[in-house]
Amino acid sequence: MLLVALRILFFRLLVAVPTLIAVSALVFVILRLLPADPAAMSLPPGATAEDLARLRAALGLDRSIPEQYLIWLGDLLSGDFGISIYFRRPVADLVSTALPNTLELVLSGLLLGVIVGVAGGLLMFRARGGRGEEALDVVSSAMMSIPEFLWALLLILAFGVAVPLLPFIGRMAPGMMTPPGVTGFLLLDSLIAGRLDVFFSLLLHLVLPAVALAIALAPLIMRVLRASLVEVAGDDFVTQARLRGLSEQRILFAHTLPNAALPTISLIGVQAGFMFGGTVLVEVIFGYPGLGNLIVDAVRNHDLPVIQLVALVYCVLVLAINAAVEVIYLLVNPRLRTH
Amino acid sequence: MSVLAVEGLTVSAKQAAVLRDLSFEVAPGKVVGLVGESGAGKSMIGRVLAGTLPPGFAVTAGSVRFQGADLVAADPRARRRALGDRLTFIPQEPLTALDPLMTVAAQFGEHLQRLGMPRSGRRGAMRAALAAVELDPARVLERYPFQLSGGMCQRVLIAMAFVSNPALVVADEPTTALDVSTQMRIIALIRTLQRDHATGLLFITHDLRLAAHVCDEIIVLYAGEAVEHGPAAAVMGEPRHPYAASLKASIPPVDGPLHRLVPLADTMPGIARFASLPGCRFAPRCPVRDATCAAAPPPAIAIAPRHTVRAAGACLSASGAAAAIPMPPAPPPGAGPPVLELRDAAKHYPARRNLIGLRHGPGTTAVAGASLTVRPGEFVGIVGESGSGKSTLARLVMGLEAPTAGRILVDGADVTVGDAAARSVRLGALQMVFQDPQSALNPRRSVWRLVTQAMEAARARLGTGTRAGPARPSRAGRRERAATLLAETGLPADLLDRFPAELSGGQKQRVNIARALCLAPRLLVADEIVSGLDVSVQAQILNLLHTLRDELGIGLLLISHDLGVVRYVCSRVVVMRHGEIVEEGPVEAVFRDPQHPYTRMLLASIPPDDATLPWPRESDVASAAAA
Amino acid sequence: MSAARFLTPRIVVGGALIAALVLVAIFAPLIAPNDPEAQELLYVLLPPAWAPGGDAAFPLGTDSLGRCIASRLVFGTRVALTVALTAATGAMVLGTLLALLAGYFGGRIDWLVSRAVDTWMSFPPVILALILLVGLGAGVDKVILAIIIVDWTRFARVIRSEVLVVRRRDYIAAARLAGFSHLAVLAREVLPAVAPLVITLLSLEMGIAVIVEATMSFVGLSVESDVAAWGVMIADARRSMYQAPWGVVLPTAAIFLTVLGFNLLGDGLRPALDPSLRTRGAR
Ligand code: SF4
Repeated sequence: MLLVALRILFFRLLVAVPTLIAVSALVFVILRLLPADPAAMSLPPGATAEDLARLRAALGLDRSIPEQYLIWLGDLLSGDFGISIYFRRPVADLVSTALPNTLELVLSGLLLGVIVGVAGGLLMFRARGGRGEEALDVVSSAMMSIPEFLWALLLILAFGVAVPLLPFIGRMAPGMMTPPGVTGFLLLDSLIAGRLDVFFSLLLHLVLPAVALAIALAPLIMRVLRASLVEVAGDDFVTQARLRGLSEQRILFAHTLPNAALPTISLIGVQAGFMFGGTVLVEVIFGYPGLGNLIVDAVRNHDLPVIQLVALVYCVLVLAINAAVEVIYLLVNPRLRTH
Repeated sequence: MSVLAVEGLTVSAKQAAVLRDLSFEVAPGKVVGLVGESGAGKSMIGRVLAGTLPPGFAVTAGSVRFQGADLVAADPRARRRALGDRLTFIPQEPLTALDPLMTVAAQFGEHLQRLGMPRSGRRGAMRAALAAVELDPARVLERYPFQLSGGMCQRVLIAMAFVSNPALVVADEPTTALDVSTQMRIIALIRTLQRDHATGLLFITHDLRLAAHVCDEIIVLYAGEAVEHGPAAAVMGEPRHPYAASLKASIPPVDGPLHRLVPLADTMPGIARFASLPGCRFAPRCPVRDATCAAAPPPAIAIAPRHTVRAAGACLSASGAAAAIPMPPAPPPGAGPPVLELRDAAKHYPARRNLIGLRHGPGTTAVAGASLTVRPGEFVGIVGESGSGKSTLARLVMGLEAPTAGRILVDGADVTVGDAAARSVRLGALQMVFQDPQSALNPRRSVWRLVTQAMEAARARLGTGTRAGPARPSRAGRRERAATLLAETGLPADLLDRFPAELSGGQKQRVNIARALCLAPRLLVADEIVSGLDVSVQAQILNLLHTLRDELGIGLLLISHDLGVVRYVCSRVVVMRHGEIVEEGPVEAVFRDPQHPYTRMLLASIPPDDATLPWPRESDVASAAAA
Repeated sequence: MSAARFLTPRIVVGGALIAALVLVAIFAPLIAPNDPEAQELLYVLLPPAWAPGGDAAFPLGTDSLGRCIASRLVFGTRVALTVALTAATGAMVLGTLLALLAGYFGGRIDWLVSRAVDTWMSFPPVILALILLVGLGAGVDKVILAIIIVDWTRFARVIRSEVLVVRRRDYIAAARLAGFSHLAVLAREVLPAVAPLVITLLSLEMGIAVIVEATMSFVGLSVESDVAAWGVMIADARRSMYQAPWGVVLPTAAIFLTVLGFNLLGDGLRPALDPSLRTRGAR
């Protein structure tokens, strides 16, 4: 089983390499369409033309675009990720502190969304044909019609301002010290450092952003799961299981649900990728120090080295999570696994 | 005491009796057959037994006693305890009746657990049960359903059905989805197990001939009513009810003299029409009805011990079978070069590419070098089981697939390479009738636009921008042609503006044929065109093919798994197996004296028309197993 | 083929919402009580008229620059609907075209389209839109272009697999055998079969376009910062949301109603347009 999983993962990653190259080229080319000159913008007012030329040469902006791309790719592969024009710090540093925060957020949002979505889907299936299903359907339609970042604002208004239950700014309570970085993941690091107070503060600060992400994901899962449950419930093998005298409970959880889960799993794969996009504004709104905040700052300041790398990191994350979900899918589905 | 006693059972939906006043008994060790066309209500009884009637359906009268206990009144828990244990089911579609995500061992184990068997004993029990259905447990247990053939899946399901030593097994069309040779082996297996366990068996089927050999007693259902009920040999030998008689007269025989089939006109009424048929529901189609028939439900009249017929009017006085019309001999094929010639045509599919683009294994050969000629006006049949390559052959002929070797000639012109020239040669000579009208008729086109599609294509080719041009068909011209085509295929003209969803199965297949006739082709290629139809509708279509030959002088390449159909329609037959032609010759010669062992085995797989002949014979089952 | 099957609650409610918004957009100058750009610095952060401290001249209150929220909401529909209409249609045309070619012909073109979709799908859409706007520069026209470039894959992915299903139907082969050219088969048999799905996706995509535009306005990459657009309003109001939450809530509600309208319409149209779903129910 493990061996199969590893083999699939290996092939997936092999296939991902050309995709990544295409992605990096695309990012690079799009960013060179830029009408404004990033070098000019990062110089103090009163700088001379020579200053500009010197900076452009230092940044490699005076070469042709394919050349620049190859140089950048070469630098990436040799571990040189460049220096931020705006923050004036190595991009690698910026990304490596932001990345774990974003991962913690996405994973909690994913977890929450899947739990609520699966529970909702089962509930809708149980209540099919009745008022309960209609009500859930209306609720899910409404949930889907508001994007994550507006949910974030509404949640802040509801649970941060109107009923101040939860913190909604930053990663942890102001004044707290970041635990020593062992893994980079603050939740883990705080536990390793034995700082339970920090841990809980981190957790509380995660609640609202994660809920905002989950609200966008859950209704989709709900609907797809409901639809596949209804479809599978009409399949011959479910009828046959009933004719064997199995209890409805057993039929649902041993036969209908596992089969209906397959389309849901592929949906989660796609949506998990989209969720990284959802985090961008959610992070901005909650002042959450992750990749989203970083890239928006970089976009506002035309900080190309940061935009490039962060965009690429997002793509790597999406490909990784897609590969992970696909492995799960293949492991659940013997038809594909044995081929 | 009987295992199952059904007394006056009536199931209703929307005020109409879907099943009206049904009574019968199943004794231990006996087989009772429920025979009827689709929509006759034959599957309803299984649903009553299982308590899985669709919403809106309810038992409104009568009783169903299983081992003495009333099943209708039983509470769901008690009923569930019987299901899968004392009362088991063998399904119609074995490939989909097993959970695709579970191995055989997991599913069988789950079943044994449900039966209360301790974990320790399950493996052994499974092995024994699988061995009893002639499966190798070591090869099957850890497999998933999709890794098994339909026949193997059905064996697994049979093993599960018999492992609890049930009192009653309900088998609903258990062999319909299988090839004939597999059908024979599965039937032999079910009969053996059922006899050994002295189990009662309720055998539900559309196939009267099959039922006659499997069952002790047969009940013929029509529109929810048992029209005839008696010993199998008697019902098949000399059916007394007009419907049962016509059902028998619709089956193309595989042996004995060939007569013209006399199908009933029209189709069986659906539930929606039941309310308007208070009397005999067969009356609108009955050839011998009289004034008394439509008044009240006819009573069941005993005409012999254990043999009843639901009769009111002239049912019994009229001689059941209409005078048999012998088949006129097929006209000799026309002179001139063959319409179609295949020379060693072959189709090989390479293996699929895997994730990184490499091919695994040698691929499959669907057709391995087939040679065949069809002369003008000749009716040639291709028979074979699934995987024989017969459908691929049809697609090669039509140019829907390109052959990987060999040559194809149409009207003497080489069309092996499917270029524009070949396309126009084919367009002038060949047309195809597809198997499944559901898929072959675009649901968004009305009937007249469907049947004159070829004229629309011609119009599109000629362009609409140019003035006049005699070949550019107008809308009026198309509708006129459509009306002619409907008349030729026996369809009423008022269907012109209907959509496929509004047609019955038989009507759709006629539209399908009419479309192929639009450009007056000289050869029709028809792939399993009657396999989805009920026998009486099938007989209508088969007779239509004869009419078309007589009136249009058209030729036919008929692909079918049904030997009776091919014998009835064609004058020459080609037998295919594993992509190869194993035998070819005049139909009567091949059927009377088959040369290839495979042809012999195929013919032996079909239940003979005479119900008193033994079938399946052990030697045939053995040779089918060896094949 | 009656109109009755279009009278489902989803279609009626969704259609009514969208129709109302279109009317508001067209007649914005007549409906808006004030000039959406006019700043009344004496009336800053007024609550809605019915709340204590409200002023009847500003039915839904004012923002931090004293601009009439109601009027800005009304004019905001213009931006939202323009983007929804043009961007979604553009994405539909591009995506459907490529999907038809890829799904029907297979082979090289399918490989190319599929790889492009794979590459696109490895971007979170927001990120791709963001970098496109960095490259193209800010502006609402650029936002429209960016949505087309990002979201054609939504159509291509779904419609390609539908084309693959339709292609396997025998009536496609039958049309070829009747003498139709490939192009005629695509136009007369395949396109009508996928049209219900295309229309459904179009409706949903319009909702998505509204959201993307709002997102980009919020970040300041879409319209000029003084133009009345919902995303801009939310971004402005966010700074004072503790004192004046309605400044955030009202444009959010506007976005919600618009997107809900498109979503309901899309969900409702699918079964109504699809004859195969229809006959299944009849049987
Ligand atoms: S004779 Fe009358 S009762 Fe008998 S089958 Fe015909 S219609 Fe029915």
